[in-house]
Amino acid sequence: MFWDGFLVTASVSALSIVGSFLIGVIVAFGAVSRRPFLRKAARGYIGLFRNIPFIVQVFFFYFGLPEIGVYIDAFTTGTMALSIAVGAYAADVLRSGIENVDTGVIEAAEVSGLSRFKIYRRIILPIALRVSLRPLGSVFINLVLTTSILSTITLNELTGNAKIVASDTFRPFEVYFFLLLFYCVLTYLLSLLINLWHRRLNRFMRGAE
Amino acid sequence: MRNQGFNWHDPILWAQGLGVSVGVFAASMILGTVIGIFIALCRVYKVPVVAPVLLVISEFLKNSPVLVQLFLVFFGVPVLLQVNITPAEAAIFTLTGNTAAFIAVIAISAIDAIDRGQLEAARSFGHSERSILRKIIAPQALVVAMPALIGLAVNQLQVTSLISAIGVIDLTKVGQILNQRTWQPFIVWTIIGVTYFILSRLLAAAGGRLETRLRRHMDWAGL
Repeated sequence: MFWDGFLVTASVSALSIVGSFLIGVIVAFGAVSRRPFLRKAARGYIGLFRNIPFIVQVFFFYFGLPEIGVYIDAFTTGTMALSIAVGAYAADVLRSGIENVDTGVIEAAEVSGLSRFKIYRRIILPIALRVSLRPLGSVFINLVLTTSILSTITLNELTGNAKIVASDTFRPFEVYFFLLLFYCVLTYLLSLLINLWHRRLNRFMRGAE
Repeated sequence: MRNQGFNWHDPILWAQGLGVSVGVFAASMILGTVIGIFIALCRVYKVPVVAPVLLVISEFLKNSPVLVQLFLVFFGVPVLLQVNITPAEAAIFTLTGNTAAFIAVIAISAIDAIDRGQLEAARSFGHSERSILRKIIAPQALVVAMPALIGLAVNQLQVTSLISAIGVIDLTKVGQILNQRTWQPFIVWTIIGVTYFILSRLLAAAGGRLETRLRRHMDWAGL
């Protein structure tokens, strides 16, 4: 029971981390674009999804999509809604990382004749990630905690299963207390992982420190 | 029964939900700020026993989902202690604790940002610790902390939406009620979403104005 819930939480988290990172990268490049339209659209996206509670967004998709003939299960809806919402937070963090990249480096890359895509992918993104990985990490930790909200759309992840166990055993305090501790451990492990990655990305920076 | 359409009663329901959301937000924000500052002071002055215990509790609160905290307080605590708790009490209690944990972090880093030399200067002028805190630390720390506080307030406003899960009739719960009756999810959730959006924006704008006001007297005005 507990293990099943953990697997659902873990897979939703993993898929949404990837999804929100991809959305975050695209929107962040939009937000620093030279074209005013793209910039406005990207900043509007960030503002919109950061200022509306996630639970409202998830209900919008969960109840709204079947209305327009899209029938997908709670797992897919949840992953999608999480990716879209957390993508806005990731985009904001990445945007400030990108804005901190030395323009000289970008100009040098342009002069070397690298294609636009290569400049984004190989030059700007890795440099921006060095700075924004830590804040991005706390965004992802928040994502893992936010997966608990998906229990309100009938997804039986950790929290959803805990609700069932609590009402079966009549021991809600023990169940929810253990669950809280488990989330703490989970986020702690994630933060260790992010620290490792941060150190790896910054391995060339030793001399500069 | 055909009561699927929207009727004149719905705006009233919406307004009630809005009132509950704003009320719970304001109550937990004010109480949370007071307790959070208390936690921060305990840690800055390194009060034995209390400071480490508070640190553990606030780490615990920051690294676990608010929804589960709400469940623990609303479903768990009454069974454990054999007491009755209303949804609204559980909501305010949980959100206060949560806000306090985040306020403590913001307050500690804001206090850290103050130049140590100023404190030494104040001490050598014979200021008491209390007056240092009130006249030197507090006004400057508040200005430093403003951007983080605004961010936190906007975030906590979103978090209040979770109290609908323990049965508080807040804005989100009103959305659920209307959604179930009318089956117009796009209209209902768009209205609820826009309401939260406007509230967040108003909050951020008010915070921004307060920040510029607080900063004004710190600008160098010339001799």
